[in-house]
Amino acid sequence: MKKSTIIILVVVAVVAVWAVTGYNGLVKADEAVSNAWSNVENQYQRRADLIPNLVNTVKGYASHEKETLDAVISARTRATQVTVDADNLTPEKLLEYQKAQGEVGAALGRLLAITEAYPDLKANQNFLELQAQLEGTENRISVERRNFNDVAKSYNTSIRTFPKNLLAGMFGFEKRPYFEAQEGAEQAPVVQF
Amino acid sequence: MRNRVIGVLLLLLCTLFAGAKVYRVEDVPMVHLQDRTRYVSNPDGILSPSSVATIDSLFFALEEQTGIQVLVTVLTGIEGGDCFDFAHRLGQVNGVGQDGRDNGLVVLLSTEERCVQFATGYGLEGVLPDAMCKRIQQRYMVEHFADDDWNTGMVEGMRAVCGVLDGSMENPADDEEGDMIAVVIFIALIFGGIGIIAFAVWYGSRCPRCGKHDIARVDSRVVERHGSMYVRETTYKCNKCGHVFVRKDSIGNSGGRGPRGGMIIGGGFGRGGGFGGGSFGGGGFGGGGAGSRF
Repeated sequence: MKKSTIIILVVVAVVAVWAVTGYNGLVKADEAVSNAWSNVENQYQRRADLIPNLVNTVKGYASHEKETLDAVISARTRATQVTVDADNLTPEKLLEYQKAQGEVGAALGRLLAITEAYPDLKANQNFLELQAQLEGTENRISVERRNFNDVAKSYNTSIRTFPKNLLAGMFGFEKRPYFEAQEGAEQAPVVQF
Repeated sequence: MRNRVIGVLLLLLCTLFAGAKVYRVEDVPMVHLQDRTRYVSNPDGILSPSSVATIDSLFFALEEQTGIQVLVTVLTGIEGGDCFDFAHRLGQVNGVGQDGRDNGLVVLLSTEERCVQFATGYGLEGVLPDAMCKRIQQRYMVEHFADDDWNTGMVEGMRAVCGVLDGSMENPADDEEGDMIAVVIFIALIFGGIGIIAFAVWYGSRCPRCGKHDIARVDSRVVERHGSMYVRETTYKCNKCGHVFVRKDSIGNSGGRGPRGGMIIGGGFGRGGGFGGGSFGGGGFGGGGAGSRF
């Protein structure tokens, strides 16, 4: 074999090894983003599961606050209809999802605000614990959102930096969107791209 | 420049007089790392030594039995003022809890923010759910804290926490792991010792002129004596090149080969040592727990 053929073979082998490990690395990073996304969705689901119980407890003490209670229920219904598949996570979809969940958060905020006026309700052990669970769930949501942003950021960095961007372009790895910092319906959520 | 120095000094003075130090997560001293029997970080002395000792002994027994790691932090003030976030990051940054089991618990009390916050690791969310954290805080802690009675509130609260966590899980890995490490170190020491001796013997058998390892001792005599020490002069001859040379070495009477040798390896790698530094295992936190204000 000629020397030049050996050199070419070695170069091809090195490139192939790099491509395989690089591709596998990208797949792993992509899976990590999907995993982080499903954690976010789980926590939002957990909040949605708490709502009926909370609403029923409040209803027992403050039945004439029907408007606020209905607002929570309907926001929850709308939000549970917006589901986003991790593989299909576009900025528009994330914006929609975040907006729907933000409305649930805002409606819940109003509900908790009116409960301040009912001392009997506030003394109810069941309500106190539901409130604690709700708080804990909001904390979990913010933790998972932050985690999602971190994971998505490292994924985005790796698909955009040279030379992995070549592989990413070849195999169609796309940039993932981030959550905006502040959740809430009064501030229209903006998705950074 | 000068203005800035004065500004900093003024700021320092203010904080001194106000008595409230604002901590960052990284600034909180981790006493558990210096002494594995201690779990309470109380840098401003808000809790009394006897309360700290009570809580330490509770959680030392708890960790021995269940492997659950607790970090109690009592501070005058926290940076950012967000109690949940601070407690969560305390756990996350220090890795409270065992790796893989994520059974860490952070308890934070800030007197400036007037808040108490529990942060549970992923693995504790089941045994110590948020509602339980809240109930403990409401029932045992908040009313005492409202009267600035930090000691009673903290001790009663931690007793209640211990009551919930006690027996909630086993601590299987711990002892075996410790023993394994001790065995590995033991074996390494023995082989290391043998290696060093072998090397010394091999090196000593080298002819200084031709470098071959084929020398023979032809004469040996004591030339000096100082009490129990004596200096020996040994003559060697190289079988390869015929080079003759003399080595002097001083030897104690016990000769280093007496019964005292080998005692270096007996020491305590066991778990009963007492005051060695502890470690946190690297547990993860997902935002569980609850907080109360007072």
